[in-house]
Amino acid sequence: MKTMLTTFLVLILSSLLSLTPGYASNSHPLTGEKLAENQVFYYRIGAESPSIDPQLVEDVEGSAISRDLFEGLLTQNADGTLAPGVAERWEGNAKKDSYTFYLRKNARWSNGDPVTSHDFVYAWRRAVDPVVSSPYASFMELTSIKNVSDILKGKKPTSELGIEAVDDYTLKVSLSGSLSYFPSMMVHTTTFPTHQKTIEKHGNSWTKPGNMVSNGAYKLTEHVLNERLVRERNPMYWNNDKTIIDKTVGLIITDENQAYNRYQASELYKTEVPTGQFKRLKKLLPVETHSNPRLCSYYYIFNMEDETLKNLNLRKALTLAINRNIVTDKIMGAGQIPAYSFTPGSTANFIVPDTEYGKMTQKERNKLAMSLLAKEGYSRSNPLEITLLYNTSEGHKKVAIAVRQMWKQVGIKATLENQEWKTFLSTRDAGNFQIARSGWCGDYNEASTFLDLLRSDSDQNDSNYNNPVVDDLIVSARTMDDPNPNYKKVEELIAKDFPISPIYHYTGVLMLKPYVKGWPHQNVEANWYSKDLYITAH
Amino acid sequence: MLNFILRRLAIAIPTILVIILFSFLLMHSAPGGPFTAERKLPPEVLANIEKKYGLDKPLYQQIGVYVKNVVTDFDFGPSFKYKNLTVNEIIASGFPVTIVYGLWAFLFATLIGVSLGVFAALKHNTWLDYLATSTAIIGSVLPNFVMAPLLVLLFTVYLNWLPGGGWQGGQWQFIIMPVIALATSYLASIARITRSSMLEVLNSNFIRTAKSKGLPTQYIILHHALKPAMLPVLTSLGLSFVGMVTGSVIIDQYFSTGGIGQHFVNAALNRDYSVIMGVTILVGTLTIVFNLLVEILYAWIDPRIRY
Amino acid sequence: MYVDNKKVQDLADNLSDSNEIEGRSLWQDARHRFFKNKAALVSLITLSLIVLFALVGPQFSPWDYEEIDWDAMGDIQTMGAPSFSSGHYFGTDDLGRDLYSRVIQGTQISLMVGLIGSFIAVVVGTLYGAVAGYLGGRIDSAMMRTVDILMAIPFMFVLILLMVMFGRSIYMIFIGIGLLSWLEMSRIIRGQTLSLKNKEFIEAAIATGVKPFTIVTRHIVPNVLGIVVVYATLLVPGMIMTESFISFLGLGVQEPQTSWGALINEGARTIQNGTLWQLLFPLFFFITTLLSFFFIGDGLRDALDPKDR
Repeated sequence: MKTMLTTFLVLILSSLLSLTPGYASNSHPLTGEKLAENQVFYYRIGAESPSIDPQLVEDVEGSAISRDLFEGLLTQNADGTLAPGVAERWEGNAKKDSYTFYLRKNARWSNGDPVTSHDFVYAWRRAVDPVVSSPYASFMELTSIKNVSDILKGKKPTSELGIEAVDDYTLKVSLSGSLSYFPSMMVHTTTFPTHQKTIEKHGNSWTKPGNMVSNGAYKLTEHVLNERLVRERNPMYWNNDKTIIDKTVGLIITDENQAYNRYQASELYKTEVPTGQFKRLKKLLPVETHSNPRLCSYYYIFNMEDETLKNLNLRKALTLAINRNIVTDKIMGAGQIPAYSFTPGSTANFIVPDTEYGKMTQKERNKLAMSLLAKEGYSRSNPLEITLLYNTSEGHKKVAIAVRQMWKQVGIKATLENQEWKTFLSTRDAGNFQIARSGWCGDYNEASTFLDLLRSDSDQNDSNYNNPVVDDLIVSARTMDDPNPNYKKVEELIAKDFPISPIYHYTGVLMLKPYVKGWPHQNVEANWYSKDLYITAH
Repeated sequence: MLNFILRRLAIAIPTILVIILFSFLLMHSAPGGPFTAERKLPPEVLANIEKKYGLDKPLYQQIGVYVKNVVTDFDFGPSFKYKNLTVNEIIASGFPVTIVYGLWAFLFATLIGVSLGVFAALKHNTWLDYLATSTAIIGSVLPNFVMAPLLVLLFTVYLNWLPGGGWQGGQWQFIIMPVIALATSYLASIARITRSSMLEVLNSNFIRTAKSKGLPTQYIILHHALKPAMLPVLTSLGLSFVGMVTGSVIIDQYFSTGGIGQHFVNAALNRDYSVIMGVTILVGTLTIVFNLLVEILYAWIDPRIRY
Repeated sequence: MYVDNKKVQDLADNLSDSNEIEGRSLWQDARHRFFKNKAALVSLITLSLIVLFALVGPQFSPWDYEEIDWDAMGDIQTMGAPSFSSGHYFGTDDLGRDLYSRVIQGTQISLMVGLIGSFIAVVVGTLYGAVAGYLGGRIDSAMMRTVDILMAIPFMFVLILLMVMFGRSIYMIFIGIGLLSWLEMSRIIRGQTLSLKNKEFIEAAIATGVKPFTIVTRHIVPNVLGIVVVYATLLVPGMIMTESFISFLGLGVQEPQTSWGALINEGARTIQNGTLWQLLFPLFFFITTLLSFFFIGDGLRDALDPKDR
């Protein structure tokens, strides 16, 4: 009788304990830190996303939201290495032009449906479907998946895409050529699965809270345009037991200084460091201020079809005369890295090559610049007149102003032209500029995501750089086991032809409350997942 | 009077059509389009997208389709930028917010502005006059983008009394700072126009007569002076109200209210054609309605005005 | 018998010698009243001082408005603070450029924008509104409907288009802003005209056969001048604010030139960084100028009102 009572009590107690959602007032299972009662993470979203539909997502903030709501074949660890997502394991064939993904059997959608390979087939076909017209359809082209170009051009139907559901839990992808880094592209939101029945039922409104069915660690519970977006724990997620954060609230705050104000009032736990404030805040709040290397480059492009800029000596002089250390230390001041080559050093498996002008001192560079200008008949008393185009932003303005002064010292007189974003893009695209500011973040963690921009037939080749040797090197690198020698050669050619003037490689600067843990500071793609975060007692 | 109102309403419709035409042409002439992006779309994809949104048709056809949709179903079309939202949804989520804090700001600005103006007029040319005028001015002279951060610094960061932003359905804590920031911009103009208009009225003959009859000042003001003095103030109020709605961009951006002012600017910068048209029609209609109201009030105040 | 001719002659001479009494015109009357208004007088002097500062100020500064002080750049909080020794009387901005010179440059641009823009708005708006209000009927209706339409059009587009079609010159900004503000002015003037036109002196003018255009220019306009002047002085600050909003969007004055709005905008961002001078100096000039315009406007209104004695 007594044992029955005790057993009964134990059963009741343990079932009550197991009902406790999450880990409130417990300690972290691995590190033992005491966790906060309230596992809610508040952070700043800089602008409302055009869409959070995985196949339509095009911005950084939207990607972060999609990564919480959905899960793709693979995901990333805090250091950026690949980890299983919906796929438990994967393998590529010897030629690296066919990959098979084995999906776990316990992955579920938020409405209980199992996640199957058919969901991926549906999603990928959607990504290249002309009717859906995804702005990231070109990403699928980058994966080299079979028939993608023809489908995008409308020559073949989407059912011909090189993806096949061998059975409910096995997915086979066929590429048109070998690509060794294909798996690393599977963490990108465009490849995430989507729930066919939901989309067919609700059409365009399927992304509203209440309509949306998602397979990630969280589901969408609230979305007020330009105000906030709230996602809460999805109990159907296969790994829900390991998720600690119950709720993530994104507050949309356009002005970075205002965001910082609210961070100070602890209304948010994460925000960006306002431009130029890094040094001061690092001194004031050393534990909360972070600067992490990012997979992005900042550079000026030269319009090589412009009469003046056809001249190599002038392009070289313009590039040499920029004092990158002043830009990174004094203007940006957040640990950015002065760049003398295009691809950032933080790119996986990439070694930054030495360039000739990178090794000189600024004094030597200025001297060389002046002699190059003199060769073309320019000097301080007869300066080279040129225009520099940039888009409206405090940061770009400061860099442009500083560069203008630097150029003045060697005999270049620059007129600054600032245009609002869309006007700037269409001007740059139409080639109505001499020098334009540019920035690029990698779509995946491999050097080709940068170097591909300088291929002569790339849509993104705004400088109209045309070097067949470079084109050859880039195309052949795709199928090489170790493409680095080719990449090195391309960078050397860039440092010889000067289609662009690299300025710096980005760092991601953020303020993070000390009680928010698990942030992937080492991930250069800045892919963060709410399910990997936790809040300690404070 | 009824005739007048009907006539004006009848004219309103072609007016709105002209507004639509003008804005349509204007916005299509600006460089760049809704799909101009840093990551360029391959030409095939761009062609598909344009087809999806009807942008491949000639302009006159586009206008025709648009007007038909608006008139028959009140359908203002899908947003070009926010792929999962329609213009109706965007306006439905933003407009009520702006109206709420706009009306409060309007009330606040009018009550305080008119009172200050009347007070200043009564104490004309004394130091009290200068004090009242200066008070009104100081608030309006601080631009929105200085006032807003100052308010947040004071009430949120240092005093921790009010949340720094958000709307959450419009609870009172979220309305206060936007209202103060918005109202102070208009306070001065209302106060000053009231003051100068009141001064003119106070010097007119019929007021002099009233004073000489020995009527108390308060009575004179409320029963005789206020109404005629309100005429120019009304015009200014009418304009202020619409201005408050469309000019609330900085308030929306700063306090993350989700109001419609932000869209007004963002849609233009994003070249989100349908949102631009939707908001323009909204503002155009508001302007016409308000002007009509103001003109009706004119006639009520000054019986000599005939239409 | 004649009265003593000499005495009469002397009297007659006296009378004709004494100066003719000069009639005082209404405008002179107004000027006299204006100068008696202390606040307006002080404001006029202040404004003149500011204008003088804008013209002569650059002579006293070792820095020009676009030169970057590389030493100050890395550490604005300490090196960029106002001081006489570094030559940065007002300190530096966030990029290490001398704030004193930039404030002067901004003053020049902002004053020009305000004055020229308001002038355009006043002239166009007053004539338009007075004509519409006076003529009444269908012409009034048509004119005001046109104003309605123009007001409802998103001014963002008009600006973007102007900037793109005619390039980013300052004159474009003046014209653009001026053209957008005459609309309000015309509505206000029309309102005033509507009530004025029923007054007796207008009836009298019509009765004596004065042509409509002359009535408008000689009778209506001077009588609405009070409101015009007050409103115009409100327009100037409005223009300056509009200009700063435009700069906010990247459509305003091009770097390296600047305006008060742009300077205040930059200063407002750095409030918390220990560089308050970046906000305070331009704000001081801005507020002082606006207050001066307000008091001058009030003074003018008081001076021009024939009944206020």
